[in-house]
Amino acid sequence: MTALEGQKILHSSGSRAGSLAEAVDQTLAQLHSLLHNDPLRPVTEITADVGPLLQTRSPAEVVAIRVSPRPPADAFHSTSLPSNAASLVRRAIHVRGGHDVRGRELAPLGLEDFVAELPSIVATGIRNISITGVGSIAATAHEEAVADALLSQDSDMRITLSHGYFSNAFRDRDYTAILNSALSATGDELATLLERSCRRYFPSAALCYAKNDGGSGPLSLLSTTPVHGLFAEPAMRILGCATLTGVPDGEVILGEDQGVSVGLTRHGIPVASSLIRRGHGASLASNAAVHAPYTRNHLLAPDAVSVIADLRQSIGAPLPFGLKPTISIRDDVALVGCAAALLTGWIDRLESVVNEADLRRAQHLAEEDAQSMTVNLGAAPGNTRIIESSASSVAYSYPGIVRVRVRAAGTRAVADSEVK
Amino acid sequence: MTSGERSGVPATRLGMTSLTSADIAHLRTGAQFLACTIDPTSTYIYAEMIQSAMVSGQVQLVDVESLDPEDLVVATGMVTQGLFIADMPPVGDEFLSCISAIETALSRKVQAVYSLAAASINGIVPLMVGLQSGLPVVDADPMGRVFPLISQTTLHIGEVGISPIAMMGVTGERAMVEAPNPQRAETLVRSLVTELGGWAATAMYPCTAGELRMHGVRGTVTRMIRVGEILDADESVENKYRRLIELLKAVRISRARVQHIESLSRPTGLGLPAQPSSMTLIDETTGQIIRLEIQNEILLVLVDGAVAAAVPDIVTLLSPEYGTAVSLDDVGVGTVIDVIAIPAAEAWYSAPGLELAGPRAFDIPLDHPRRNA
Repeated sequence: MTALEGQKILHSSGSRAGSLAEAVDQTLAQLHSLLHNDPLRPVTEITADVGPLLQTRSPAEVVAIRVSPRPPADAFHSTSLPSNAASLVRRAIHVRGGHDVRGRELAPLGLEDFVAELPSIVATGIRNISITGVGSIAATAHEEAVADALLSQDSDMRITLSHGYFSNAFRDRDYTAILNSALSATGDELATLLERSCRRYFPSAALCYAKNDGGSGPLSLLSTTPVHGLFAEPAMRILGCATLTGVPDGEVILGEDQGVSVGLTRHGIPVASSLIRRGHGASLASNAAVHAPYTRNHLLAPDAVSVIADLRQSIGAPLPFGLKPTISIRDDVALVGCAAALLTGWIDRLESVVNEADLRRAQHLAEEDAQSMTVNLGAAPGNTRIIESSASSVAYSYPGIVRVRVRAAGTRAVADSEVK
Repeated sequence: MTSGERSGVPATRLGMTSLTSADIAHLRTGAQFLACTIDPTSTYIYAEMIQSAMVSGQVQLVDVESLDPEDLVVATGMVTQGLFIADMPPVGDEFLSCISAIETALSRKVQAVYSLAAASINGIVPLMVGLQSGLPVVDADPMGRVFPLISQTTLHIGEVGISPIAMMGVTGERAMVEAPNPQRAETLVRSLVTELGGWAATAMYPCTAGELRMHGVRGTVTRMIRVGEILDADESVENKYRRLIELLKAVRISRARVQHIESLSRPTGLGLPAQPSSMTLIDETTGQIIRLEIQNEILLVLVDGAVAAAVPDIVTLLSPEYGTAVSLDDVGVGTVIDVIAIPAAEAWYSAPGLELAGPRAFDIPLDHPRRNA
């Protein structure tokens, strides 16, 4: 645990309790005792990095439902999933349907046939369902109709719809939806545990989980979008170093025992991309901090500010590549990042435009939506800002189709003396 | 490189060669490098499917010279307009159906298939078709790169017919287009593709091996593999560059940092897929302003306002840090990239070639520097 007041670490500690619940409880009790429940220094926000826990807990089995005009005609044309997701799929079901990039229906939804399959799905006893439809980033109707049919049969099902995870590739969304669905029970369990303990000691603190993009989201969303918290650690390290050194815009070079890597911050937040790539296989469709190995060919912008953080536990040897550290930290700097993380909201969608004015309108609307989303996550309406906003043509797509991508960030209304 | 002659690749794969899984991996890399503006995911998906399928079959790559000049060969490739291939890859029966339709229409058996384009998804699709059909894949194509229109081929320059064109769409619907004029065929096919669901698997430019030998661009599958071998190698970035430049007679125009990206950056009145966009960069060493004009492909590179490369030159991007192809999707403000120009097949610099695929064909009011050279 790390407590942060402004840019200063107020307290940092660990716990070696027998169970997770005990560890959380002990840590929060320590913090509570340290602050003596000081009304002038209230704990306003608690953000947990649950990624390591999500990665080590056993995910649940999933029924994967795929909506497309036609199923693969042979085994060669089935796209493969990474083994960590493929092994979770107890049953895969094809439903006829899907849309093109303009949201035009490619085939009528085969709902009748699907409804006939429902009793057999329920009979598996599996309650985690992923639904991935062709073209769902342009039209969500088929995924939603399948979900409605499932819920009408069993309202306790945990359903992940792929359109919440932007990628042009079906297999990326399928992979992400399956993994998210498989983790949702664990996410729910962790959220409940954290909520119970935090409420005991800090009843008025807002509770969040750290996200892969270097932002945070309300803990209440951990059960529905756990995949966004799966790989938050690199982003939080970048943010932690940037926070401690007071560098909102620049490069953050992390010297760790396992090697040197580099990330970027802009407007005080890690620069993020929309996919977590794993070689040439399926990518996880979750916004995540750009974080790459540092090489001797690395080119620094002439006017860029760099943070070179020595995070190694072994002290003495110089950093590779002749890097001279600007800061050395032995504490878990990722936790500093968690405490500093802002609420972040993303809009990533395809729009059909006919001219530049149309494009600007679509982009402006997306910016408004991203800010509204951030307010819905808990930010104060006056405390949101746009971190990035782009509208890009898509090669070899339909004329006029652009991808609009906007990131907003915000804070709750907090005073300087508050502790996070 | 000249149309009707081998590319700059040494002729070490004469006759018939069985491709290995490693060749497919390298081809994937090369196919991405030669068309960096296109999301490589569908190429990755196809490479993975081919590598899985190779467990029970082989891909035979054949030099066009070793085929009987009268053998019927046909181009296979995807034409897209409204659906990402990565969102709905072909289910597997499309290309076999198209080949069968061509055979029925011409009352002749197809003896080999070739790529509609020598990069991106269409550079790799015929390998799966070869696996499925047992037909060899010819080491040649009619573009020597990727162009957005099916009429932009060296076969068109050589007056080889594009028809009949067999198509099968997303939902399994089929069509056959008979249009002797390739530009008219492009218009008809593009309209049909929209109605067929956003992409169509196609077989077109049925011709003899002799015609392909005369008017196609040869050695282009091998070239993709060689490029991939270089980029995938575990060696220094400097070595990779040296070998690439030697293989492709490439030029590094600039190492520059992205300053600005703009969509819908200029008007377009053509039936080209996607909207134009532009990228402005600043050279890391000289401070020169580099501008890339993009519409499906990088069409023009200006250095301080002077033309440094223009379509039909192949312009692609490399990461100076990792020596890997840079996908345009991964480029943002602040990214440092190497802008690389590669000469296209010689046929593209002829008067009819520049007419068909020079800057003016993409609504850019400039002549290619070689127009009057």
